[in-house]
Amino acid sequence: MNSWPGLKNSWEGVDAYFTSANSEGTLIFWTLVCVAILCFVTWSAARHESETGKKN
Amino acid sequence: MTLEQLTSYVAAQSSASAEGWYYLMTALMIAIHVGFLLYEVGASRMQNAVASGVKNLLAFAFMIPTFWLFGWYIYLAFPHGFVPMDMEGYGVPWNVSMGPMLSDQLTGVFWAAFTLFACTTASIFSGAVIERIRISSFVFLAVLLGSVCWNLGASWGWHYDGWLVTQFGFHDVAAAGVVHMIAGWFAFGVILNLGPRVGRYNSDGTMNELEGHDLRFSFIGLMMIIMGFFGFLGACLIWPGLGGLGMQEVTTWTQIYGAPATLSSFVYNTLMGMAGGMIGAFWMSKGNPFWMMSGALAGIFACASGLDVYYPGLAFVLGFVGGVIIIPANNLLHKIFKIDDPVGAIAVHGVGGTWGVLAMGIFASGVPGASSAIPDASLWGQIVGGLTMFAVGFVPGYGVSFVMKMMGWLRVPDHIQIAGLDKSELNLKATNY
Repeated sequence: MNSWPGLKNSWEGVDAYFTSANSEGTLIFWTLVCVAILCFVTWSAARHESETGKKN
Repeated sequence: MTLEQLTSYVAAQSSASAEGWYYLMTALMIAIHVGFLLYEVGASRMQNAVASGVKNLLAFAFMIPTFWLFGWYIYLAFPHGFVPMDMEGYGVPWNVSMGPMLSDQLTGVFWAAFTLFACTTASIFSGAVIERIRISSFVFLAVLLGSVCWNLGASWGWHYDGWLVTQFGFHDVAAAGVVHMIAGWFAFGVILNLGPRVGRYNSDGTMNELEGHDLRFSFIGLMMIIMGFFGFLGACLIWPGLGGLGMQEVTTWTQIYGAPATLSSFVYNTLMGMAGGMIGAFWMSKGNPFWMMSGALAGIFACASGLDVYYPGLAFVLGFVGGVIIIPANNLLHKIFKIDDPVGAIAVHGVGGTWGVLAMGIFASGVPGASSAIPDASLWGQIVGGLTMFAVGFVPGYGVSFVMKMMGWLRVPDHIQIAGLDKSELNLKATNY
């Protein structure tokens, strides 16, 4: 598994080679950000539709 | 079968497979050109639709011979700066390497793939200048971009021996800077001199929308571009066994700098970035489909520099940011510089590509090079690389188009624009209904 971003970087012994692959906490963080974006955009679109519905 | 026969058979299969891969990726990349053509024809008003299509066809046609004449040589010869390496004739058009050889099955397909990369740069530029650039001057500038400028940037930053790579660890595997920044900022330099279309701005500085004649063409075109980009990205990888500089045991694909990579990393991050960009632009534009499609492209470019190393969740977020920022960036560029970029090419490719280059330094610093000759990726390296790509695009775009403007060889006269380019210059019309 990799170690970047980190102090000692190398291709030796690498398997999962993507960013933060050695930090499950960071991967959970990015996963939660993805979910938050999807929920926020869906909510935002629904609010926009409701507002335009009231105007017209 | 003897061991010798088996070794020969495996070598032949490997060589032919690599050749076939780049052949197919080249074919797939033609979809990018089809897409740009449809996109720009749709974004043009009916009176200029044919002229926009002709311009695209000519960019394609001129790029191929000029890339054979000098474009490929520039890419190969200049990784160390402005002084060419001595390659003993390799890459010049009168050398045997620039024709089919039984002992070298790969040069031809590599040349073809790079030629299609060059066509992509010209197509990016093409959309920004529709409806008011002279066709001849467009062709000249497209050749300058696609067969000279881009190649120089690629030689410096998209080559295992390029000075940006060996000195700064510049990391741009899928060409966010090398293709998109250079093409986008080249277009910016040109349209500062070209000026807006007649009717775009009022005397008080306010802007009018000059809507294209058929948004459906643009929809299909943009989806074709996205499809074609899978060919572009596939051709950015080096077939197993051909790369792996200083890593003899490498049996995977490698990226263009020789470090391990996989098609999975490319497809994970391309799709996630594209989706993020489309959703970001949907939110920012409140559902404008033109920007959603452009956002999809910007999302791909946002992930392009680190397409080989991003976590897919991070790629989605980077793409989302890319899709969000291109809309205010486009508005800001129009407001400050009073430019006219009908397809948002500068925002999507120039700004989106810049974000992609910087994001690599922010989120993936420390990725090691393939060998000790290549430093780890860093934010500083990405900043230096980004500034270089901006200069390689903007300086020649602005400088050469300025000279052409002084010569009166750049812009279609206003009365021809008003009458329509199709009727005035081509004596044609796009449809008979």
